[in-house]
Amino acid sequence: MYSFLFYLILEFLGLMFLILSFSVIVIYLILMILSAFEMRDYIRKNRFADYGDIITSPIAPGVSILAPAFNEGQNIVQNAQSLLSLHYGKFEVIIINDGSKDDSLDKLIQAFELEKTNYAYNAEIETKPIKAIYRSRNMSYRRLTVIDKENGGKADALNAGINIADLEILACIDVDCILSSESISRMVRPFMEETNKKVIAVGGVIGIANNCDVVNGTVTTYRVPETQLGKFQVIEYFRAFLMGRMAWSRINGLMLISGAFGFFRKDLVRAVGGYFPKTVGEDMELIVRMRRYMDEQKIPHKVGFVPDPLCWTEVPEDEQILSRQRNRWMRGTIETLQLHQAMQLNPKYGILGMISFPFWSIFEKSAPILEASGVIYTLILLAIGDFSAVYFIALLAMMYLLSLLVSSFSVLYEQIAFNHYKDKKDLQKLIWMIITEPILVHPKIVFWGVMGHIDFIKGKGGWGIMIRSGFKNAEEKKKLNPQVTSS
Amino acid sequence: MKKILPWFIVFLLFFLPGVIQAQSQIIPEDSIGFRDFLIVQKEVPGLSYRYVLGEKSISDELASDSIYQFSKTDTGYVSRLISDFDLAERLENRLVADSLDYQLVYFVFSNLSSHESTYEYLANLIRNGDYQVKFDEDGPKEDLVSLASKAPYSPLQKFKLRFFSDYQLFGVTLVIFFFFLVALGMIVFMLVMKARKNKRENLLKEYERIIIDPLTSLLFEKELKEIQEMDQNEIEFYFPQTLLSKSLYKDVLVERIIGLNKRMKGEFKDKLKSLYKKLELDKNSMDLLRNKKWDRVTMGLVQINEMDLVEALPEVKKFTNSSNFHIRSQAVAILLNLSDQVDLTFLRDQTFPISLWQQMNYLRIIRFASLQKDLKLEVLFDSQNSSIRIFGYKLVRMLGRMDLIGVLSSIAGGVAEEEKIEILETYSTLGAHMEVDFINECLHAQNPNLNLAAAKAASVLGNSESAEILFGLIKSETSFGNKLHYLKSLYELDREKFDQATLDNSSNEILKIKDHILDPMLQNV
Repeated sequence: MYSFLFYLILEFLGLMFLILSFSVIVIYLILMILSAFEMRDYIRKNRFADYGDIITSPIAPGVSILAPAFNEGQNIVQNAQSLLSLHYGKFEVIIINDGSKDDSLDKLIQAFELEKTNYAYNAEIETKPIKAIYRSRNMSYRRLTVIDKENGGKADALNAGINIADLEILACIDVDCILSSESISRMVRPFMEETNKKVIAVGGVIGIANNCDVVNGTVTTYRVPETQLGKFQVIEYFRAFLMGRMAWSRINGLMLISGAFGFFRKDLVRAVGGYFPKTVGEDMELIVRMRRYMDEQKIPHKVGFVPDPLCWTEVPEDEQILSRQRNRWMRGTIETLQLHQAMQLNPKYGILGMISFPFWSIFEKSAPILEASGVIYTLILLAIGDFSAVYFIALLAMMYLLSLLVSSFSVLYEQIAFNHYKDKKDLQKLIWMIITEPILVHPKIVFWGVMGHIDFIKGKGGWGIMIRSGFKNAEEKKKLNPQVTSS
Repeated sequence: MKKILPWFIVFLLFFLPGVIQAQSQIIPEDSIGFRDFLIVQKEVPGLSYRYVLGEKSISDELASDSIYQFSKTDTGYVSRLISDFDLAERLENRLVADSLDYQLVYFVFSNLSSHESTYEYLANLIRNGDYQVKFDEDGPKEDLVSLASKAPYSPLQKFKLRFFSDYQLFGVTLVIFFFFLVALGMIVFMLVMKARKNKRENLLKEYERIIIDPLTSLLFEKELKEIQEMDQNEIEFYFPQTLLSKSLYKDVLVERIIGLNKRMKGEFKDKLKSLYKKLELDKNSMDLLRNKKWDRVTMGLVQINEMDLVEALPEVKKFTNSSNFHIRSQAVAILLNLSDQVDLTFLRDQTFPISLWQQMNYLRIIRFASLQKDLKLEVLFDSQNSSIRIFGYKLVRMLGRMDLIGVLSSIAGGVAEEEKIEILETYSTLGAHMEVDFINECLHAQNPNLNLAAAKAASVLGNSESAEILFGLIKSETSFGNKLHYLKSLYELDREKFDQATLDNSSNEILKIKDHILDPMLQNV
């Protein structure tokens, strides 16, 4: 009887892995096609966009740039100066010193002649206590506001910024990101263009600055990073931004825009209660909650995506740091999906509930678990002698070639759309990475993903019961006991 | 996934018993068939058999037969455990011949087992793949060679097709082959494309270098009249036909001329336009309007607009209500830019809502046109399209058209609240003091956004009545943000009233707001 059950389970798993493998192939082929159409249209549309007017036009919306900083003393002044020199008419820069232990605040005060103000801070969104709000009498720095607050994490710091932001659009960025001078005008365009649907947020591409030359806040010469993990992340970012997000943007199914460079409509962010500080995936959670809110209010909406390279960041090339980042990302994904589980396969939430959410649940959240299970399954088959080498190799070859196909496609995209890596050697390095990545790097990524699951189960960093039971509706976050929220 | 899984299991449970049933039917259920089956199997792991005799005594010969190895029991005799059923069956003949009372019993792992249990045990073994069933193989009765000579010749065709008959393997192999080809193709394409793109970029640079010299010399060395009178040979001297026939060269030339036209002024502009026509690039632009691709049409419209090709206006007019956003925007921009008399009725009649992006572009053109032409902005107020009406109010504000305040005043009472907000901002910007009654009326409205817009306008244009209303609003308002806005407006409008509102109030919130408003560092916050 037990033997029968064992073989039944094996049969079932075998069938499941076969179905999954084919689903992965079909879905990635669809994503490739969708992103190709989207990229083609974007390039065509962009030819006719004149960004000259937007800088001075009274019709263009104002942008509040929110940059949380924690122990960024080394570069905080240069970073703030770089933000203040962006080419745009109506914008303000709010730097939130999130309880830094270093001299970040002193450096800012000194460099920008800041003074404490009597700012009437209203915690519309609950945050950790604010120590002071600074501004400068020097007119050159009139756009700058600095909030000094107790440490509460990135989401909490952003919430403090949202509370005092004065303009229509919020640009939430990482303070150490390098922004192109025309980044605001390009990112604001989707908010200004749409008439049939309300654009609630716009995401941008994050470029990898490792090993590149940066002059006046713009990457002038692109070079592929030297390390294997650096090169892998170049390919991965192409896949994620140029292929994945372009495709999801095509069907208005975007569920994530990068926390390092995202633009949001302020009124809506406030309406849903800002960032949720008790999740490590605050960027994804906010987008999902905003979309959920719009669907619950039955307001047609859209999350835009701009594929132009406008923001660059240094990615971790150290294995330990990268593993922590991936662990955090995985926990963030699980937490977000858990918090909004009511949307799963719910037609009320349209594309998001019926397509994006299930995709993320199966192919993003569960992918490391499924892949690890696949390995264990193969080992069991080997042990009991029921292993078909031909099928195993065939399936493995199929998945390897799919990876090759998807990666080469995304690099091809970059070459067609931007052609940044001009040196042939760089392209050769990328191709070599495409070929070796599934063998050398992917297993590590899977392992870190599995560790993320384990840490989530252990309750690391998250907000246990609340996250497991999830939000009943998008506005529930606002109704949470403020003391609990800020604990 | 959670919902699908139970269904999937039900699906499996529905079909799998059928498969299992099919496996167990290999063993005949009737006792004779079962025995025949066991004969063919000979030995089955875990199964053994024993003869039990009901006789009190048997012949000495049988009792001492080493094959049977009978042992005496209380009720008779029992044989040894026999693992080969074929042998057991053969041993039965002797017992039949001696007319003995005997019974063949089954043992599973040395435990006495019934016929049903033995059957079940065997079925399980087969199902789990732990036992490979043997079938009765009738060996060839004749010589193999002579048998083969009787068989018709077939060149192992069946064997060759075995790969294709395994559909799963065939399918997977096909997919792999397809993926391999596509991946390989992609990489090759990538390399080829990279080479081409680099080549194209180099060619672009080369053409730009080639073009810049003749263009500069034409612009700076020749008069407008000379350019207009140039013949084909002269043109060819500057821009050889061999190059002009290349589309990339033509594109670079168009881009260069348009780029210079944007930056230059006066006679230089006229020279460039004249050259554009001399090179017949205008025909090229017009032809683009007939293209099926929207981006080519838009490109044509952009060129017409930049090079002021007035003769194309009748064609352009057809595109003003196009369903394509970019074509529509460009066509409207051209009409605003190139028409002698800017008649805004075509804009009024637009059915599609205009986006902020379009408004921004139109504003730039209308602002420029308003310096030279008389614009009847008021026609926009009659539009059926609310986005056009709102744009009209914005234009009054941005172009400083004080003369239209009266028209706005006549319609302000009857428009939607969203439009009222826009009108209030226009009054505020233009300093329309005579509209204070409308502002006060809006301060009394139920819509908080309208109240806030009215409060902002009141801070510049309000009167004592406005101050009173604001005072009341501050008292009744619960939102911190709104209170801050009302107090700010009151501070701008009437300091005395502001002091009254803040001094008499012991609320911590009001005191915080007061400190904020009075802080010179926060003047614009």
